[in-house]
Amino acid sequence: MPDFEPVLLAGITNPDNHAIDVYEATGGYQTLRRIVQQSTPTEVVEIVKASHLRGRGGAGFPTGLKWTFLPDDHPGPIYFCLNADESEPGTFNNRILMEQDPHQVLEGLILSCFATQARTAYCYLRYEYPLALERLQRAVDDCYERGYLGHNILGSDYSLDVVMHRGAAAYICGEETGLIESLEGKRAWPRIKPPFPAVSGVFGKPTVVNNIETVACVKHICERGSDWFKSMGVDPDPDNPRDLGSHGPKLYCLSGHVERPGCYEAPLGITVNELIEEHGGGIAGGRQPKAAIPGGISMGLLRADEFDCPLDFAGPGTYQCLGLGTAAVVVMDKTVSMVDFLHNSCQFFAHESCGQCTPCREGTSWALRMVERIRAGKGRLHDLELLLEIGNSIGIMPGTTICGLADGAAWPIKNAITKFRDEFETYIRETNPTGFDTRDPVPALETIQLH
Amino acid sequence: MPTVIVNDVEIEIGPDEQINGIQAAKRAGVEIPHYCWHPGLSVVASCRMCLVETGRKDPESGDVSLVPKLVPACQTPATDGTVFVTDSQKVMDARAMVEEDLLIRHPIDCPICDKAGECTLQDYHFQHGREERRADINPFTSRRRSLGDTVTLFVDRCVMCTRCVRFCREVTETSELMVTNRGTDEEIDVFPGFPLDNKMSGNVVDLCPVGALGDKDFLYQQRVWFINKRSHVCAGCSTGCSIDIEENQDQIYRLKPRDNPHVNHWWMCDEGRYGWKHIHRADRHVQAYRQDQLDPVALDGTTLAEELDQQLSSTATIAAVLSPHLTVEEAYLLATYVRSKDPAATLVLGHVPVQGENETYASGFTIRAEKCPNRRGVEEVIAGIAGEVITWESFLESLSDSSPEAVWIAGGYKSDWHDDSVAQRFDSIPLRIVQDTFTSPLSRAATYSLPATAFAEQAGSFVNHEDHIQSFEQAIRPPAGVIPAGQLYWRLLDRTGLYQSQLVLAEIARAIPYFNAATEPPGELGINLKLNHLAS
Amino acid sequence: MSSSEPGTTVPGSNGPDRVLTAEMVAEIESHFDRYPSRQAVTLPALHIVQERLRHVPLQAVVEIAELLDLKPADIQDTLTFYGFFKQDQPHGETRAWVCRSISCALLGADQIRKHLSERTGLKPGETTADGKLTIEAAECLGACEFAPCMLAGTTLYKRLTTDQVDEFLESLEQPHGA
Repeated sequence: MPDFEPVLLAGITNPDNHAIDVYEATGGYQTLRRIVQQSTPTEVVEIVKASHLRGRGGAGFPTGLKWTFLPDDHPGPIYFCLNADESEPGTFNNRILMEQDPHQVLEGLILSCFATQARTAYCYLRYEYPLALERLQRAVDDCYERGYLGHNILGSDYSLDVVMHRGAAAYICGEETGLIESLEGKRAWPRIKPPFPAVSGVFGKPTVVNNIETVACVKHICERGSDWFKSMGVDPDPDNPRDLGSHGPKLYCLSGHVERPGCYEAPLGITVNELIEEHGGGIAGGRQPKAAIPGGISMGLLRADEFDCPLDFAGPGTYQCLGLGTAAVVVMDKTVSMVDFLHNSCQFFAHESCGQCTPCREGTSWALRMVERIRAGKGRLHDLELLLEIGNSIGIMPGTTICGLADGAAWPIKNAITKFRDEFETYIRETNPTGFDTRDPVPALETIQLH
Repeated sequence: MPTVIVNDVEIEIGPDEQINGIQAAKRAGVEIPHYCWHPGLSVVASCRMCLVETGRKDPESGDVSLVPKLVPACQTPATDGTVFVTDSQKVMDARAMVEEDLLIRHPIDCPICDKAGECTLQDYHFQHGREERRADINPFTSRRRSLGDTVTLFVDRCVMCTRCVRFCREVTETSELMVTNRGTDEEIDVFPGFPLDNKMSGNVVDLCPVGALGDKDFLYQQRVWFINKRSHVCAGCSTGCSIDIEENQDQIYRLKPRDNPHVNHWWMCDEGRYGWKHIHRADRHVQAYRQDQLDPVALDGTTLAEELDQQLSSTATIAAVLSPHLTVEEAYLLATYVRSKDPAATLVLGHVPVQGENETYASGFTIRAEKCPNRRGVEEVIAGIAGEVITWESFLESLSDSSPEAVWIAGGYKSDWHDDSVAQRFDSIPLRIVQDTFTSPLSRAATYSLPATAFAEQAGSFVNHEDHIQSFEQAIRPPAGVIPAGQLYWRLLDRTGLYQSQLVLAEIARAIPYFNAATEPPGELGINLKLNHLAS
Repeated sequence: MSSSEPGTTVPGSNGPDRVLTAEMVAEIESHFDRYPSRQAVTLPALHIVQERLRHVPLQAVVEIAELLDLKPADIQDTLTFYGFFKQDQPHGETRAWVCRSISCALLGADQIRKHLSERTGLKPGETTADGKLTIEAAECLGACEFAPCMLAGTTLYKRLTTDQVDEFLESLEQPHGA
């Protein structure tokens, strides 16, 4: 494999890259200038479509295609929501881009807004990123000063305003329509679809929601073309018309029990092994790997013998995981108990479930209660069946919930119990020798509804 | 005509109709269970109880292709060729899952919960739920908090369908109710100092599918399986909401709105909802009296009609004051009767109580300022018989110039409607017959003071502000001693058999053109007399 | 805090029972032209108030509602959805969020949190009696390469050890704070 030249992380080698002077000195905003003065929005949409760029926020939906869902003849205004609510456990690449290369993000944002003819872009930024706010706000202010934002950008007839909007520590605000509801000032209960945001989004107007890394890719696609973008990654399977391929560079977040946790850039498709060995310095302390999350905790678990899984949009699915997600790999060595892992996962999702729809609200809570009881030595083998049943029934894929948080809650349950069944059974038998094999209802650890 | 298929049953729907899967299935005779959906509120599809399989039927090949995932029927439009499957194992499993989920944290309150017997959670548990509890168990009872003067909340019984919150945001636009917290910590609440106190508050209790929201007025008063539901019409204002009067042994326990798309849809206002207390007041007028010089003489109901007829037969000029609380039939019979005694009898439209202004809500529902149910009906009866309608005010004025020898004032008002000075104007009239629900200056000064029925005790019809007529039967019997007006007038007119309001309405429809659309009995929802007026 | 019942203050009055200062009101109003709807200013307004008062008391909710032409329940609904906003009591001068998500948990965050709790006597969500410190459990802070992490104010503490926790606590005792 030829040496890969970083694209998205190219700028951060210079610690002052977040300053506009430094960004401009290395060619920044030249692409914007060219596009906004010489191209049309449709042309930009076509380039992005042709590049096969798929969204980097977790769902992997083709970006150019999403942009074409905007109605042609809508009087507007069209809104763009930049999803900077990065909250998927294990994920931190958006943070790095915003803190260390905010102008790359902004240039990509302005190009994306130009393509979609949005007049106002709301950057929904999670509250826990104070440095990103500082850097992005400064970058936005500088862009206004230099004519890259505001009225008649660079002498064109395109105008755009960017508004920073801070979140308040809720994972569900990263969901497209949860973000929109939160932006509108309400509780972040995701909307039922249809209508989709492109038709009726924020304030009832056509809206595009895209991730930070996605718009950063748009900048590079506009700069170097769609062929260049497609030259990286994995082409679609010619025999599968539904395979959209996995193209372009990708930021991989690596954390957990590795020597060098960090954010590494590689073309889509490297394997977990390659990421750990070639970038992460191997398992920390030379210990033995046990499991890894492939793409943020929602995607589930890979066993150590599944680390040859390619990290592209199609790979994790072939290993019974949910998908690539945010490409955040969290490695666990053999000191980790899967019961503890599952507890951590269930605690997260029960805490973050927005509570709107029954299967997720109750299912995530029920799962947590069961895992807590198992951990406390009062588990039953029957609980594993109930947990699997919850895992197999809640989610937007079976159609039982409104959004994909439930799928994210379900997959760690399914993967952990299926792939590490023996460990769970042994734990239950050993910690509850007198009660592990009953199927009768047992008293709850604490009052289920706390008064 | 577009065809929708529900479990192999094909139904046709109107070409421009916009209905969802739940509504389509209902037409096919299939109940799709649901909590959060309500036709009068926005679609949120959050309870997930209405999950079904859906697909399309190819018009040429007849092949049915189903979408692999379940969809909520409430958010799925029923269009030409849409297929709904509501009885597959997949669907039944989903329902059992939702039902089980809702019961995991539900308090064990059925024995003390008002909703038992009319509870959707109970009903669906039996129809769709699992046989046994699989989750951990720790029985507890619900917390309770007051949301306002009329509504209380049993917090832990709530299933988060958010119907109540949406009602306050979308229909009354008062936003008193809110959801607090996130996930399983969510609760319904009001903001401190801003209680639930809009004029339609009681509707949220109707909307609640479980025993979370309670009507303080009804709480713990009666178990629902002892209650009889009687279709009726509210007498609170000229909107004329279709209602059910819920009673047991002639005691009313509550009123609830009946769905009538022509009148009130699903709602009724609090004034109407709680506007039945006067019916059971201890000081109801229940005894007919003849005021003989000094002492009132109680009159026997069996001889009353004869005595009154005798008295009126020997009077030359009669005036009848017909209150807008009378039914169409009662007004017609009394007017006909007095005209039979005095062909030139003055027919007066009784006092029309008006309070405040009309208040219209987002859905178009209006609480009207005219606080009586049948001004239109009585007005048209008078116009039909006498040619002109004399108002109460102008009648009072005219008394100073000339007064009849006899006056019959048919009231039936809920509360005080006149004072001593008004009563004094009638002092010079030799024969004064006053028929009313409560004693008043006029009844105390009357020659004959007769008790009147209240609306729940009446059988007949009301016409609302926009000419919509609704007919109803007697919901409860009046207190002993009170002869329903219709029956009394029927006897005065020497008609044989028992008073039957439907027969009278048919007669009126033939006699007075305004009412001709009511020749056939109006159905459950009534009929609009103007829109359906038959060209003569 | 005043003793008056929230909701009984006359809207628009500037009596002593009002909680929003003129500066806060001006700051909130400066956001109006950024959105086509006033309701969208809800989160910004809540942040503006909490940044100054360290909580959003009930009276502030009433006043925000007036400014945004909404009902108090509308604002409160949003406020309570996010565990971020305190209401009954101000949080400490420093609010220390210790991450408990998977990457930090794998690298000892549970021990860090326990140590912090033991040293301060606080459970997550609680504040010291002198009002200096609140400790909270956070979900993924997005700094997993530096696990275990803690966000205190705007400072991110990386690769936290129990010794560093002790240093952090000592730094709070200094007059100029952390």
